[in-house]
Amino acid sequence: MTANGATLAASNIHKAFGDNQVLKGASLSVARGEVVTLIGASGSGKSTFLRCLNLLEMPQQGELAIGTHRFTFGTGLRAPADAQLAQLRQNVGMVFQHFNLFPHMSVLRNLTEGPVQVKGLSQVEADALGRDLLAKVGLADKADAYPSRLSGGQKQRVAIARALAMKPDVMLFDEPTSALDPELVGEVLAVIRNLAAEGMTMVLVTHEMAFAADVSSRVGFMNDGVMAEVGTADEIIRQPKSERLKAFLSRFHGAG
Amino acid sequence: MYVWDFAALKPYWPLIWQGLLVTIFYTVTTVAAGLVIGLVVGILRTNSPRWITMPLRFYIEVFRCTPLLVQLVWVYYALPVLIGVDMSPAMACFVTLSLYAGSFYAEIFRGGIEAVDKGQWEAGRAIGMRRGKIFRRIVLPQAIQVMIPSFINQTIMQLKNTSLVSVVAVGDLLYQGSVITATSYRPLEVYSTIAVLYFVVLFPLTLVADQIELKLGAHR
Repeated sequence: MTANGATLAASNIHKAFGDNQVLKGASLSVARGEVVTLIGASGSGKSTFLRCLNLLEMPQQGELAIGTHRFTFGTGLRAPADAQLAQLRQNVGMVFQHFNLFPHMSVLRNLTEGPVQVKGLSQVEADALGRDLLAKVGLADKADAYPSRLSGGQKQRVAIARALAMKPDVMLFDEPTSALDPELVGEVLAVIRNLAAEGMTMVLVTHEMAFAADVSSRVGFMNDGVMAEVGTADEIIRQPKSERLKAFLSRFHGAG
Repeated sequence: MYVWDFAALKPYWPLIWQGLLVTIFYTVTTVAAGLVIGLVVGILRTNSPRWITMPLRFYIEVFRCTPLLVQLVWVYYALPVLIGVDMSPAMACFVTLSLYAGSFYAEIFRGGIEAVDKGQWEAGRAIGMRRGKIFRRIVLPQAIQVMIPSFINQTIMQLKNTSLVSVVAVGDLLYQGSVITATSYRPLEVYSTIAVLYFVVLFPLTLVADQIELKLGAHR
């Protein structure tokens, strides 16, 4: 736990790709059991910010604290070692927009790869864990199938189960339903909703406004590389006050 | 009208077999050495600083863009003068064929590795895997699937290319053919037989390749 009781605290995160300054001092702190969704226009930096939380992107400046892992970034400071990054990521699960399942492994092997290869569980232990998680996401019968045989919604549920198999403290979701056909979105959101109900700490980037309003403890609105506004779903989505937030949300009327 | 007389080759069969064995020997050893070279060079080229990738690129392009026959003759005649080391014909052939195969395999490996979606690396990193492990367990197996057709193709070429060793008097199948021709005066029978032998060795290889490809593609 960090000093202020948050399980995750990112502050003043800066990240540029070449000349393109994507994050200009974005901050967020998340308490244990909270579900925080990040919304914002494309290009506002929300996915990049999320990817900074498990250091798939390395911030150029700022601080990140997750559980007992602490990182400070800045010019002249050494980048974290590969081993430190691997340690952090064991505790931070991530679900990608495009699933990124391992196509050459069965569904069950996708789930057990991390526990066996990273945590050193036996294959038998990992298999049991994996089957439990597949049952939890409603895919117990797909254990031996290969990812190519699954629908998009099923793939994403497997990807969620794969991340959960590491028993992470925090789960990150990067637009988990954006690559799905509309009729498959619901089954993935249902799984995420269940996780929220179980008290999993989560940060989500999403365009599903109704879902965000429904599931979030708090919502962060990102604009131009900073966390412009943070508040409850009521404050941010249902009764937005600022003009730029109203303008952004007006584009979602009737959607989601 | 020419009268074919394959029976005239009967006394030469031991020589032909010997030549075939030499051909297979050079294929197997230079494919093996070429694969090792190709894997190392291919991997280095995908994630190394320029001062490493530039010389490797140079090596690859030199061997890809000059005829193998020229390389063979050059390594056998010119290289010893240049570095002052005598090389037996067998050694020159082994070195040249291995480097030649290595340059092509390196490009196949590099292409295969780079064809694997970047998301696979990220998925591995996201569950806490280290770089080497992601490469071995996630990326390489997928890269090899992509590479199999080109790899088989190159290996078939390699077996045929071993015929060039005959120019420096290494006794492969083609060399024995020319020796037998000189004494039997039966070039049509000799070269027909040799062509059939190359085909008989290689054709089953293409069938095996088809099977492997089918199997590997099964879960795509």
